[in-house]
Amino acid sequence: MTIPKFTATSIDEIPVNLRRGFRTGKSKSIAYRKQQLLALAYMIKDNAARLHEALDIDLHRAPAETSFIDIFPSLAEAKEAYDSVGRWSKPERAHWSFNWFAMNPTIRKEPKGVVLIISPFNYPITLSLGPLSGAIAAGNACVLKPSELTPAYSALLAELVSQYLDPEMYTVINGAIPESTEMLKLQWDHILYTGGGRVASIILGAAAKTLTPVTTELGGKSPAFIDPKCDLKLTAKRLMWGKVTNSGQTCIAPDYVLVPRSFVDTFVKACIEALKEFFPDGAEKSDSYARIISPGHFARIKGLLDGTKGTVVYGGSTNAETKFIEPTLVVGVKNDDSLMSEEIFGPVLPILVVEDVDEALEIVNSRDHPLALYAFSKDAAYKAKVFDNTQSGACVANDCIVHYGAEGLPFGGIGPSGSGMQGGKFSFDTFTHFRATLDNPKWVDIILGGRYPPFNPKKKASIEGLFPSFPPRDGSSRWSPWFLFAAATATIGAILTKRSGLLGA
Amino acid sequence: MTGTIPKFSSTPLDEIPVIRENLRNGFRTGKSKSIAYRKQQLLALAYMIKDNAARLHEALDLDLHRAPAETNFIEIFPSLAEAKEAYSSVGKWSKPERAHWSFNWFAMNPTIRKEAKGVVLIISPFNYPITLSLGPLAGAIAAGNACVLKPSELTPAYSALVAELVSQYLDPEMYTVINGAIPETTEMLKLQWDHILYTGGARVASIILGAAAKTLTPVTTELGGKSPVFIDPKCDLHMTAKRLMWGKATNAGQTCIAPDYVLVPRSFVDTFVKACIEALKEFFPHGAEKSDSYARVISPGHFARIKGLLDGTRGTIAYGGSTNEDTKFIEPTLVVGVKNDDSLMSEEIFGPVLPIIVVEDVDEALQIVNSRDHPLALYVFSKDAAYKAKVFDNTQSGACVANDCIVHYATEGLPFGGIGPSGSGMQGGKFSFDTFTHFRATLDNPKWVDIILGGRYAPFTPKKQASIEKMFPSFPRRDGSSGWSLW
Repeated sequence: MTIPKFTATSIDEIPVNLRRGFRTGKSKSIAYRKQQLLALAYMIKDNAARLHEALDIDLHRAPAETSFIDIFPSLAEAKEAYDSVGRWSKPERAHWSFNWFAMNPTIRKEPKGVVLIISPFNYPITLSLGPLSGAIAAGNACVLKPSELTPAYSALLAELVSQYLDPEMYTVINGAIPESTEMLKLQWDHILYTGGGRVASIILGAAAKTLTPVTTELGGKSPAFIDPKCDLKLTAKRLMWGKVTNSGQTCIAPDYVLVPRSFVDTFVKACIEALKEFFPDGAEKSDSYARIISPGHFARIKGLLDGTKGTVVYGGSTNAETKFIEPTLVVGVKNDDSLMSEEIFGPVLPILVVEDVDEALEIVNSRDHPLALYAFSKDAAYKAKVFDNTQSGACVANDCIVHYGAEGLPFGGIGPSGSGMQGGKFSFDTFTHFRATLDNPKWVDIILGGRYPPFNPKKKASIEGLFPSFPPRDGSSRWSPWFLFAAATATIGAILTKRSGLLGA
Repeated sequence: MTGTIPKFSSTPLDEIPVIRENLRNGFRTGKSKSIAYRKQQLLALAYMIKDNAARLHEALDLDLHRAPAETNFIEIFPSLAEAKEAYSSVGKWSKPERAHWSFNWFAMNPTIRKEAKGVVLIISPFNYPITLSLGPLAGAIAAGNACVLKPSELTPAYSALVAELVSQYLDPEMYTVINGAIPETTEMLKLQWDHILYTGGARVASIILGAAAKTLTPVTTELGGKSPVFIDPKCDLHMTAKRLMWGKATNAGQTCIAPDYVLVPRSFVDTFVKACIEALKEFFPHGAEKSDSYARVISPGHFARIKGLLDGTRGTIAYGGSTNEDTKFIEPTLVVGVKNDDSLMSEEIFGPVLPIIVVEDVDEALQIVNSRDHPLALYVFSKDAAYKAKVFDNTQSGACVANDCIVHYATEGLPFGGIGPSGSGMQGGKFSFDTFTHFRATLDNPKWVDIILGGRYAPFTPKKQASIEKMFPSFPRRDGSSGWSLW
C-alpha cells in the first residue's frame, strides 16, 4: 500500500512556525517562489500513480477521470503561476492623471502572510493544489486543510508536501471538526474555503472575531436551460458528462434542467443514448464511474430520489454497500419537489418541463443565485436572453464544468454560491495585498498649498480650482451641435474677413 | 438646527426590510444595466454635491466645527473626483473583458462579464462623512447596483442633509439613505445584502462580519489602527514638519490614516520638535482654539477618551495640552519620550495628540512597528532612497507613503484598503467599481473542440487517458534549468 495512514494533526505549533518562516522574508524572492512552484509541479507529476490510487480508494475514481478533472487543472495552475509570477508581482504604476502623477503613485504587490486553504472531498487535488499555486506565487506561507472524507488523499498529501515543499512555509493539517475549530480560533491573513454554505457560515463567524478575510467557494443548484434549437447529440453528451463526472459530485455540475414541453421526449431519448454510450454494460459494472463519497451522502441523495413526485425514466438503482447510485433521469419534476429542495451533489438529474424560456427564467430567478448556469442552444438571441436575465457565478453555453479550468477566467460565486474569486491571476490577487505607495515632492505644494491653515478665501479658491468639471446637467456636451455650428460659422467668417482685409478690399 | 439643515430622524425599524425589498425590485427592473442610466445618476450625484456645497459646509460646521476650506479639500474634492472618474470611466470599466489568449481555451471565447451584484449597503463613519459615503456610492452606481447609505448618527446634520438630498437628486427606486443608530443597524444586518462596505472601527466590524456570516453577505472593511511615522534626519525638515503637523491637525486628528505616532532618532528629536512647533504656530498664529481653521472632537465620549489617553501618558508634553470640554476642543499636542507601553500607545488615538517615541536608529523603529498590528497607513519622511526602501520593504501596512500623509486616500488609480486588523478589500475609483461588481465568467464551447477534449468521455481507455495527458503542460527541469542547455 503506497498510501499512508490518515492521522489528525496536533496543530499547536504550526501557525507560529509558518509565521516565523514568512518573516524571514525568503518568499519575497521570485526565484524562491518559482522553485517552490516547480517542486509542486513535480510533486504532482512524480506521484500521479499514487494520486490515482488515493482517488480510487476515496471515490472509486478512474485514473483517466482524475487526470482530466483533477491533475490537469492542478498542473495548469502550477504552470501558469510559474510562468507568470514575475509579471504578476511587479509593482504597477497607477494610470497617469494630472493631479497625481508627480507623486509617482504605484501599487506594490505584497503577500498577505500566512494563509489557510480548506478544501472539500470532491475534487481534492485541484481544490487544494490549485489555490496553493496562487498562494505560493503571491509569496505567502500556507496551510492546507484537506477533507477528512478523503483520508487516502489527505494522508498522501501531507506526506508529499513535507517531502517536496519548504516545511518552513507550507504544510498540511489533517483532522476533522475539532482540528478545524482549533484553527479557526487563530487569526489568518486569508482563508480560502471551498465547501458548503452551512460550514461557510461557521467559518465566517469565527473569522469575524479575528478579522480574517475569507474567500468562499460554495455551491447551489446550477440550472441548465435546453433550447430545442440546440445540437441535440452534443447537448446530451456534454450534459450527461457533466452529470456523471465524479458521480455528480461537482459544485458546478448541472443540477437540474428546464426543457420545453414539446422537446422533452426527444431530449430524454438523447440523454439515455449518451449514457448508454458512456456505460455500455451499465454504470455499476463500468470502471469509468465513481462512487458517492460516504454513507451519509449516499443516504442523503437516495432520500431526495425516494421523495420525488417525478417519474424516473432511466436509472434509479442504488447499492448502499458500494455507495453506488446509477445515473438517473427524473422527468416532470416540479419546483417544490424533494429533488429541488437542496443541491443534489449526486448523479440524479431532475427534468423540469416548462412552456417556454420565460417560465424557465421565472423558476430559476425565484431561487438563489447559482454557482453556474448553463444554456444549450445554437441561437445567439436565446443565449443572450438567458444570460442577460439571470445572475450566477458563471454562465456557460454548450458545455458544463470546463470553465473551471479555463485560463484567464475567474472562478467564483455570487450571493449564497460564494464570494471572491480564484484561478490563475485571480488566485494570485486573492492572496496578495495591493499596497498603495507614493512619494510627494516638495514642489507639489505650489498646487496643494491651499490645504494648510490658516484658511482664507484665496486658499479656499485654490482648492476649488482643483475640483473636476462636469458636463451640463442634462448630460449634453459643452460641444453641442449648435455651439459647433456657431463656432464654425464664426471661424469661417473671421477667416473670410481677414482674407478680404489682406486683399486690401 | 439652522434653517437649511433638516432635522435628524431615524428610519422606522419596520420600514427597513421594505426599503431593501423596494430597492431589490428597482434593481430587478434592469434599468441600471444601461450605461446611460448610470452616467445620468452619477451626474446627478455630482450636481447634488456642487449645488449644495454651502449646505454641506454648514452641516460639517455643525457636526465637527470644520472650516469650509478644510471640508473642500478633504471631502468635497475627493467626492467630486470619484464621481468624475466614475462618470468618465464607467463605459470602459463595464465592458466585458476577453480572457488572455491561450491555446487550450481560445476556441471557447472565454470572457468576463461585468455585472452588478444587486443591492449593496454602505455604512460610513463620522469623521469624513461626505467622502466616505458618496465616494463609494459613485462606485456602486457605476457598477449598476442599487444602494443604501447608512451614514453616522454622530453627524446628525450631515446625515439628515444627505437623506434629503439623495431623495431629491437620485432615483429613489435605486438609492436611498437609512438613518439611525444601533437598533436600525441591527435591523439592517439581519437582512442579506449583495455587498456591504463598512468603514469604521474593528469592534463594530466584528459585529457586522458576524451578522454577515449568517446571511453569506460579502463585506469589505475599512478599519484603522496606529499609523506610524518614521523620521529620518535626512529629511526636508521644514516640509516634514509642515506636512506631518497638517496630517495631525486636519479634522482635529480624526482621520483613519492620520499619523498616529512618530519614531525619531535621539540625535534629531529636539530639532524635530522645534520644527513641528513652528509649523503649528504658522497654522494657528493665535492658537488653535481661537482659529476658525481648526475642527473639534466629534463627541463628549471621544473627547473623554482622548483626554484620558493624554492624562495617562508618562511622556512629556512638549507643546499644547489644553482642552475645553464644553466645546470638545483639544489642542494639537506633542508628547515626547513616549514608550511602546504608554497609554498613548494602547489604542488608535484618533485625535490631535502626537506621541513621539525616541529611538536609537531605524532598526529599533522597525522593531517597534513590527511588534504591533499592521496599520492602515505607514509614513516615512526622508530624502534617502535606501532609507525609504528599508522601511517599506520590512513592514506591512495598508499603504506606505513617503514625505506626506493622508493624500494617498484620494490619489487616482491607487487602491485604498487595509491588511490584517486594518481592514480587508479595496476601494477608490476602479477598485470601488470592482468591489461592487460580479465578475461573471462565460464561454461557449463549439462542437469541434471535442476533437481535443474527447478523451474526457467514458468509457475510458488507455488511448483516451493518453490524449488527456498529452494536454498536460510541460515544465523546465527540476533544477529550473531550461531544456536548451549550453551543451
